[in-house]
Amino acid sequence: MFELSTNVATPKQLRNGDFSAYDALYLGDFSCAEYPNNFSSHPEFLAEAVETVKGQGKKCYLRLYAVPSNHDLPWVRKVIETALTLPFDAFEVHNLGLLQMLREMGSNTPVHLGVFGNLYTDATARVVKDYGVTRVYPNPELSLKEAIYIRDHTPVEVLVPVHGKIPLVISETCFILEHSSKAADGKCTFSCAQDHWLTRTKGDWSLKDTGRMTLSGSDLCMLEHVDELAAAGLNAFYVQSHGESAEYAAQVGEIYREAFTRAFAGQPPGDPAARLEALNGLAKMGLCNGYYFESAGRRYVGRA
Amino acid sequence: MVMMMAPGGTKDMCRMVLDEGAEAVYVGVIGWSRRGSEHELTDDEIREVIDYADRRGKEVRVVVNTLPSSTEVPMFLERIAMYASWGAKGFMISDIGCMRLVKQTLPDVAIHTSVGCGITNHMDVQFLSDIGATYVVLPYRLTVEEIAEMKAKSGVGIEVFLFKTPSGGKICPGKCMMSSYFSYRRWIDDTGKDHFFGSASRGGDCLRVCQTNWEFEVDDTAYRQRMTIKTNPALWLEELPAYLAAGVDCLKVPGRDRSDLLVRDIVRFYRRVLDVIASSDVPDLSAFRPELETFRQRWVVERGNRDRRLIGEAEREALRAERAALRPHPINSIAAQ
Repeated sequence: MFELSTNVATPKQLRNGDFSAYDALYLGDFSCAEYPNNFSSHPEFLAEAVETVKGQGKKCYLRLYAVPSNHDLPWVRKVIETALTLPFDAFEVHNLGLLQMLREMGSNTPVHLGVFGNLYTDATARVVKDYGVTRVYPNPELSLKEAIYIRDHTPVEVLVPVHGKIPLVISETCFILEHSSKAADGKCTFSCAQDHWLTRTKGDWSLKDTGRMTLSGSDLCMLEHVDELAAAGLNAFYVQSHGESAEYAAQVGEIYREAFTRAFAGQPPGDPAARLEALNGLAKMGLCNGYYFESAGRRYVGRA
Repeated sequence: MVMMMAPGGTKDMCRMVLDEGAEAVYVGVIGWSRRGSEHELTDDEIREVIDYADRRGKEVRVVVNTLPSSTEVPMFLERIAMYASWGAKGFMISDIGCMRLVKQTLPDVAIHTSVGCGITNHMDVQFLSDIGATYVVLPYRLTVEEIAEMKAKSGVGIEVFLFKTPSGGKICPGKCMMSSYFSYRRWIDDTGKDHFFGSASRGGDCLRVCQTNWEFEVDDTAYRQRMTIKTNPALWLEELPAYLAAGVDCLKVPGRDRSDLLVRDIVRFYRRVLDVIASSDVPDLSAFRPELETFRQRWVVERGNRDRRLIGEAEREALRAERAALRPHPINSIAAQ
């Protein structure tokens, strides 16, 4: 009926997390190849992980590194070679060059185009479909109407992020490392394990930074709109939990699992105030609706 | 021979850069390029510039490098066909779907991928070449070795900016939506064109929010104060011969949103530099260094003025949106806490 997915970066996170609310997991942190034991850059962990996820009856997708430079391509190829021997349900790709690589390697594994794939139009969805893409994560700047248009006018599925910080910027270099006094020798000390925030000196704007990715300060929250999403026939939903705690992924997943189950069963929406308050409690900088309703990403639009 | 392609942010700028030795000028279409409308040209102006260039044996590239809405794609293709019929020889495009459609309908025009494509490796270049790119523009953070490898492995035309980046930092443009996260307004004009104030990718201006003063905090403790998020690139000189030797086919002079006179002077300067490089196997560019320094200073001053203006626009737009959102709503009050 619907699929609710989230992301898991490492074997430790997979072991320690409660992902019972989810139907599918995206393995790996696509933003940083150096992140310790990242599934996206450690093929030796993939067999056990895919077995664990499949054993829980979930779909299992592998995220590939989003911004590979020339010298990254050989190791990314090795990750793909290992993954092709395993029962992954899809690869998530953010980089056109990796679409080209998968085609040249003769991969038949479905591909999901990731958030940094810059998908804005149905015309682009048709191009990437020819490279094996079956699902797209539209650029966050698209409105809900635009995402639905792409779903309606192409043969590809649209993934709809419903909760979590919005990925806004990605880089090949680590912002935390570049600005850390402790890392004068350029060596990564994994400071990203701590929470890093960028706040405008005037105090009115904030962003979360995880080193190679900058995320929205506020958490995207579509809880009040799950009925609209279900009514629109959308059925692939995603909770963005990169940089969040295990509790965050579990609690948010539970709230949306319940909401979508009710919406898809055609049951009337209850009062969301308590669940919204719980979600707001998990969000350091409050909630927003992203660009879904054609306003600045940090705005929140309540249910009409 | 390398093609020097210069910016045409105004009609006067177009004339100046062509007169000063650029082989081609690139002009943005209002609402369709990654700049504000004051640095884009009307259709009448574009036609005049094409005629002006044509009479001098030079070329015009039309910048249509926003990422449009799906429903705008037919309008996009109609415009491309119109400019091509007027004599435009090439187009700068970001959306790979639009790129492929242009190649299918107008196979003879040159397609320059826009920097918005966010190329990071030679397989990206191969992909873009396969769907129809004639030139790929490479980000200014790539090394000479990386450029040479991309040229050798793809054979496609290589275009680079006359820029070098002093350090790492966020990828921009092409992989950044920071501006529109804070300030963004969408409207449709009389022609049906969508406008997206605050999103460079979608046809507004990037409001340069990365260039305001930020504080970096870790676990609620100040880490660095009063910093910008992104470093700014600087104009090249000494590196230029190596880049040309690596196989660069097209040098893109930046500055569509700079003053006409600064851009004119930069084009005049680089024309002389390129001529010296072409005339010698071991060109001595040291005599150009003091002059370049003055351009760098003028550039920084104009960039600062532009950034302050755009950040001010971001603040005004944010304020306007906040006032509009003041309607009371019980759920909003939770979210706004």
